[in-house]
Amino acid sequence: MDFKDYYKTLGIDPGASEEDVRKAYRKLARKYHPDVSKEPDAQARMRDLNEANDVLRDKEKRAAYDALAARVAQGYGAGPEGSGNYQPPPGWDSGFEFHRGPAQGPADHADFSEFFSSVFGKGEHRGAQSRQYRARGEDHHAAIEISIEDAIKGVEREIVLRAIEADAKGQPAIVNRTLSVKIPAGVHPGQFIRLGGQGMPGQGGEAAGDLYLEVRLAPHKLYRVDGRDLYMTLPVTPSEAALGAQVQVPTPGGGVVEVTVPPNARSGLKLRLKGRGLPGAPPGHLYLLLEIALPPANTEAARQAYEQLAKAAPFDPRQHLATSGV
Amino acid sequence: MSSYTVTSTTTIAVSSANPLAAHDLAHACGADLEWVARLVEMGIVMVPDAMSSPDDWRFDSAALQSALEARRLERDFGVGLDAAALILDLQHEVRRLKAVLKQMGSDSN
Repeated sequence: MDFKDYYKTLGIDPGASEEDVRKAYRKLARKYHPDVSKEPDAQARMRDLNEANDVLRDKEKRAAYDALAARVAQGYGAGPEGSGNYQPPPGWDSGFEFHRGPAQGPADHADFSEFFSSVFGKGEHRGAQSRQYRARGEDHHAAIEISIEDAIKGVEREIVLRAIEADAKGQPAIVNRTLSVKIPAGVHPGQFIRLGGQGMPGQGGEAAGDLYLEVRLAPHKLYRVDGRDLYMTLPVTPSEAALGAQVQVPTPGGGVVEVTVPPNARSGLKLRLKGRGLPGAPPGHLYLLLEIALPPANTEAARQAYEQLAKAAPFDPRQHLATSGV
Repeated sequence: MSSYTVTSTTTIAVSSANPLAAHDLAHACGADLEWVARLVEMGIVMVPDAMSSPDDWRFDSAALQSALEARRLERDFGVGLDAAALILDLQHEVRRLKAVLKQMGSDSN
């Protein structure tokens, strides 16, 4: 596990004021927000910024982090950032509690680093436990990536969650919980799977919170996803495009359908297979984008065939450029 | 570090058929019912009848996504919910246009 230098992430000094933290985060968030950024690593940078901001804008977490950083600087439990050797020293956070106030929003640490989880997940949990009132446990959020096929047919997947529980001696210890999650058939990207009672434990006998898993679809070698619609490139030969053809197409739900390519089809023509996209109400469509693939002219017979075609069907695809006589 | 396996028995895909109640949406966002009512008022999440009792409101996954994003904008950028509503509208439009560009074979970046 790497030690994370959150000040470096935000480009500020350890003595920076709350206002400096806020300004630095907002400035960098505008630069790296995936919706507007041109940077290739925008998504990863935004995740790091969110994590650093989550710690440094919170007085309790920042104080605990600073104390930890000071111990790291003295050589306790530390490898330098990037060495992968960091382990938090035992008891490093004694005296600190991390309270999640009503304005602090959801405990959405789904994308944060292992460093964050091991250090601040523990503090938040203990802080919550020590409060003397009744309250339902916080909901937690995470993401799960599945294939298009699994989204359509449903799948059972295991996810590992890190939690703090008392060990045999009553001491808090990090425990990896493996949840077996049944993803129902017909989920779509952006949909949430709710796992009742798998969030933070409740206080004073109240119920535990829930865990929400946001469904994300893994990139697919054939299909591109847009909402519930799927797009696939369908290669056809020049003769299939010119004369029309029946071609077989695999569908994401399994099986093969026969599709009619109309005569004189052009490259880029979009064919729609109604309701063959991702399930839903209404279901999405499967769009086929025609791409004319040329047979290579690498034999004498193929070259002669191209020459005969040129004579039999004279055609100037650059007529609209009006280059004749230039 | 110890490990053990728990099998979840209550897995529900949040949708219009299995929606969240207003208090569930509030809890998922670390907020309260009053905050959800403000989301409804700003049009960040939709209900068939905003004048009906919050007990009758139901929300799907898209509403949860919008509510979580509004919460983050509010917390990290200090914006009011009216500004958050505008930012979310613009964000959705950017994503829609990027998807159109992608379908047309252009690189949106």
